[in-house]
Amino acid sequence: MISLKGVSKRYSPNVVALDDIQLEIESGEFVSVVGQSGTGKTTLVKLIIAEEKPTTGHIEIGGWNVTKISQHDIPFLRRQIGVIFQDFKLLSKKTVYENVAFALQVSGAPRVRIKDVVPKLLDIVGLGNMGGRYPHQLSGGEQQRVVIARSMVHRPKILVADEPTGNLDSVNTQEIIEILRRINEFGTTVLLVTHNREVVNQLKKRVITLHNGRIVSDEKVGKYRL
Amino acid sequence: MVSFFRVIKFAFQDAARNAGLSFMIVLILVLMLLSVNTLMIVNVLTQEATQSIKNQIDVSIFFNADATTKQVQEIESVIKSFPEVVSLNFIDKDQVLVNFKEQHKADPEILASLDELGGNPLGPTLVLKTKEPGDYQKIITALSVPEYQNLVEAKSFDDTEMAINKISVITKQVEKFVLALSVLFAAVAFLIILNTIRVSIYTQRIEIAIKKLVGATNWFVRGPYLVESLIFSVISVGITFGFVALALHFVDPYVTIIFGRTSILTNYFLSHIMLLSLAQFGAVLALTVLSSLLAMRKYLRA
Repeated sequence: MISLKGVSKRYSPNVVALDDIQLEIESGEFVSVVGQSGTGKTTLVKLIIAEEKPTTGHIEIGGWNVTKISQHDIPFLRRQIGVIFQDFKLLSKKTVYENVAFALQVSGAPRVRIKDVVPKLLDIVGLGNMGGRYPHQLSGGEQQRVVIARSMVHRPKILVADEPTGNLDSVNTQEIIEILRRINEFGTTVLLVTHNREVVNQLKKRVITLHNGRIVSDEKVGKYRL
Repeated sequence: MVSFFRVIKFAFQDAARNAGLSFMIVLILVLMLLSVNTLMIVNVLTQEATQSIKNQIDVSIFFNADATTKQVQEIESVIKSFPEVVSLNFIDKDQVLVNFKEQHKADPEILASLDELGGNPLGPTLVLKTKEPGDYQKIITALSVPEYQNLVEAKSFDDTEMAINKISVITKQVEKFVLALSVLFAAVAFLIILNTIRVSIYTQRIEIAIKKLVGATNWFVRGPYLVESLIFSVISVGITFGFVALALHFVDPYVTIIFGRTSILTNYFLSHIMLLSLAQFGAVLALTVLSSLLAMRKYLRA
């Protein structure tokens, strides 16, 4: 599902974000990527969603050769990967409903499908009655749930969550992790990037630890060990 | 097709939800267009003023009293052969005498000397006008040949040559100045519009990045901004023409007093309305679209 072979990312000869990453993630796995700040976790996410290109190595995501992907194909790749960000990245001038619908509108989905899918997803994340609100009228946890709903509109095979609980309190963190766990149970591969020890230990799933841009441990049922 | 209608819908939605920004862009465009139209009015008035001065210039060719009709007609046909000649009036010797007496009616000494001479000592006169003051010299040169020298008593051109040359120089300088000012205004307008749109796009750079991250193609992101450019162009040209019409309504009566012709500016704008509106709309649209495309380029790379 996700395959990285010998992947390195250098911003300059002295700034190495990732170094010789070898990583295979199977379909349906729930994988946590942990590491201190500046170890290359976010760079890994950027490479997977083709926001950046690797300096060396080969990346394959769900059949897409991301290393050689053209500018034209990037939007199509991104529609097949759900992405959740720490800073939510919601469109501030669009309502909750419009933010979720936008992800379908960009792919040319018909109105009937949008009207069917969006309310259902908002119900699933517990925001069924908040479709008309704007992002600034929501709490952090609610905003993150909108992002999760948006990331699921295309029923992606892969969901990448980059520090999704970084801006949330413990109650909202638990809720978001629970939603991610349920999404994974329905068959979606989840890649969770975090430095939240409690979350990782509680999940009891595969844990990959990054340090100075290299994978220093990869445990099937791991713990946060830094 | 669905995406096309969505792009149009998003354009109107974005323009309305970013009302403050939209208002500022339209305001800047209107101010620029008003400057351009003001310059155009100055240009029309300058042309009217120079034309009015040019119209007042004519050259008279005074014939000897014994010049025959045939000889005058020959010279008349020579002058008419010049394409630069706009009008040519023949005044016979009797009318010349009447005009002379009318002109000097307050001077009894001149009238007395005219009576003493007995008969009509004056010859016929040809009064000619050309397209440009500079054209007179060409015609006068053509008449300054030995065979006509005994027929022509005098040419008023000799007296007004300096004035005509000066007017030619002044009108050319004024035209050059207005052209230079127009180029300067166009350059300033281009830079202001470019920067306004750049700032507008800059404030929305995060939105652009988010749209790209959720899978929007570059054209789906660009589309609403381009349609917004179209909307802003239509609105700004409409508002500007409204202001111009209002301004002309108040300015035209004063212009009439100066030039003696009514509704000069209104007539000019009405007779050129299609050209002016299309040119200004086209220029504003091209500028805003180009500025949007340039400003968005780097935010669309991610």
